[in-house]
Amino acid sequence: MNTNQLSWKELGRRSGGALMIPCAFAVILLTLCAVNGRAMIANQTSFYNFVVYTAIVMVTTMALSINLNSGRFDFSLGAMAILSSVVSAKITFALLGGGAGSAPCMLLFNVIVGALLGLLSGTLYVVLRIPPIITSLGVTLIFEGITYTITGGRYVMQEVQNASMSGFIGTWVYAFLIIVAVLALTVLIFDHTKFGYDYKALREGQKVAVNTGVREVPNALGCYAICGALMGVVGFLNTARNTNINGGNLNFGSISIMFTAFLPMFIGSYIGRYVNEKLGFLLAALCMSMLNSTFAVFSNELNASTQSIINAVLLVLFLIYLSNEGALRRFLRPVRKNASTEVRA
Amino acid sequence: MKAAEKSLQQSYRLRQLLIHLMPLAALAILLAALCWAVTSKGYRLDIYLNIVFNEAVVLAVVATGAVFIYTLGSFDISLGASTLFSATLGVMTYNATQSLPLMLLVILVTAIGCSLLSSLLASVFHIPVFVTTVAMMSVLSAIAAQIITKNGGALGGISIPSDLLRPLDTPWFKVVILAAFVALSIFIFSFTKVGRRQKFLGGNPVCAQLTGIDLNRYTIIAFVMAGLGVGLGAFLTLIYTPSVTTGTASSIGMNIIVAIVFGGMPISGGPNSKIYSALVGGFSYILLNNTLKILIDGNTGYGVSQIVSAIFFLAVVYVTSINYRTKLLPR
Repeated sequence: MNTNQLSWKELGRRSGGALMIPCAFAVILLTLCAVNGRAMIANQTSFYNFVVYTAIVMVTTMALSINLNSGRFDFSLGAMAILSSVVSAKITFALLGGGAGSAPCMLLFNVIVGALLGLLSGTLYVVLRIPPIITSLGVTLIFEGITYTITGGRYVMQEVQNASMSGFIGTWVYAFLIIVAVLALTVLIFDHTKFGYDYKALREGQKVAVNTGVREVPNALGCYAICGALMGVVGFLNTARNTNINGGNLNFGSISIMFTAFLPMFIGSYIGRYVNEKLGFLLAALCMSMLNSTFAVFSNELNASTQSIINAVLLVLFLIYLSNEGALRRFLRPVRKNASTEVRA
Repeated sequence: MKAAEKSLQQSYRLRQLLIHLMPLAALAILLAALCWAVTSKGYRLDIYLNIVFNEAVVLAVVATGAVFIYTLGSFDISLGASTLFSATLGVMTYNATQSLPLMLLVILVTAIGCSLLSSLLASVFHIPVFVTTVAMMSVLSAIAAQIITKNGGALGGISIPSDLLRPLDTPWFKVVILAAFVALSIFIFSFTKVGRRQKFLGGNPVCAQLTGIDLNRYTIIAFVMAGLGVGLGAFLTLIYTPSVTTGTASSIGMNIIVAIVFGGMPISGGPNSKIYSALVGGFSYILLNNTLKILIDGNTGYGVSQIVSAIFFLAVVYVTSINYRTKLLPR
């Protein structure tokens, strides 16, 4: 009986902790929209955009966090997403000519090409044995250069503008299925397989893990391949959403894709204290999607620059809270103690 | 036995010397390659040398200041955005007051102020420096873009009169600015306790702090030096091109990392950090890019030259980092 009561309490604590930030986002943003006489999600199209954007942010955040949590900073994520999309679009168009089944075919190729690019990036890292941040700088330049060479610096449009791609973006169902599939697969791989256990061991103590027999190189290669596959999915979703691929990114022009995932990664890691971290990334992506939808509602008042500033300020404020949480608690504790002493007296 | 040991030591020293000389050798080879590429295509060498010099001097100045941050094992990707923001406010100031000294003052104060803000956020609120600089990059480029778009349009940009800084647009003036800043940096880095302590903090932060070295203090000094470099870089940019668009200095932030590593400095900072890495690496990287652009003609040539440039970069880093190899994968 007592155990049940405790577990209910724990369940309540965890649910409360996990839903606190998304609920706060929802209340603040919905109120903001309501006060101005507008709706955050006004019609079917904005709902579809909401789901697709949630998928993009969640998958990018997962891809970023896999290597970053292990101390491997990877600048090449954006370049990987773009190059995998360009290659997949060209192959799919050559095979199907933009006919039926183009979208699922392109998604499949995106995942395969993305995984191969990730594997290539990882192989360079383990062979050269130079810090991953430097390897990723070189890889970013190489992938951007290949993309530019294939596209001639132009937008890829003809290959991705067809009925199949429009059908994909014309409903929320496919993006939702991608969210479920990616979530289930990442939870399975990282929480229920030997690969995942090794990954966590290496993340928490590289030297100890290697000395106890964990094989670091295959694990690192696996992480890079998974990141690549995830960025392939992001590339596909971005292509479907924008109905084109920008092939003209040079000189690190592609890294901005990665920066969109910083805030959700920190929010997701915070929520990960209460529930599975991957679920935390989904909830964080929901927050970002709500923010994005609100920006869309106020697009006449808030231009792209102002939106960037708001995102950056939110990132800093959240990190200030995260980095000073302990100090804040210590600051508040004496107040609570004093209050309880006064009550006892 | 002793003779064998001596020979081993000698070969080790020779190898070390070769590794240290590698960035300088790469610079010399790249300069020769540029000269060969230009003359073989029948272009005017003086024009290309001028282009390379003007691009490289800005990168070298900003990267020299950035070495102080990288020595601490941190890194700052907002320096490009900071250069754009400083130049933007400088142009706006001149257009409002017609005062050149005030413009220069605003550029330097803005650059140092932005850098200080990053370091204060990091040291006062204990936020990871890198994340602070990501946020600063977004904010600074967004504000600059708003100012530029509002006052002149995103493509045309904002500008000062073209003849205002033309008398300063000479190699000698730029060499003096570069030499003065590099000399100041070398003095602080190699002949004062600031440089020694920063290297100690970068090499072993826990040990350094246990000996009483204040990390926050040296972080702030590092960011001030980087800010000074950004300010000078913004001023040199305006001397070369008197207009500022949203694309001005957009690639400097990332090119600094490439330049510093290209110059033979480890990205992890610490005792092996060197001021001249920024100078050598900055010029080498710009020389490489321009040589490849000349050799590989056509629109797609930009892509191919970037691929070759990246492979060359990885190869140089691979050779110069032989000393830092570990059994475990580096992080």
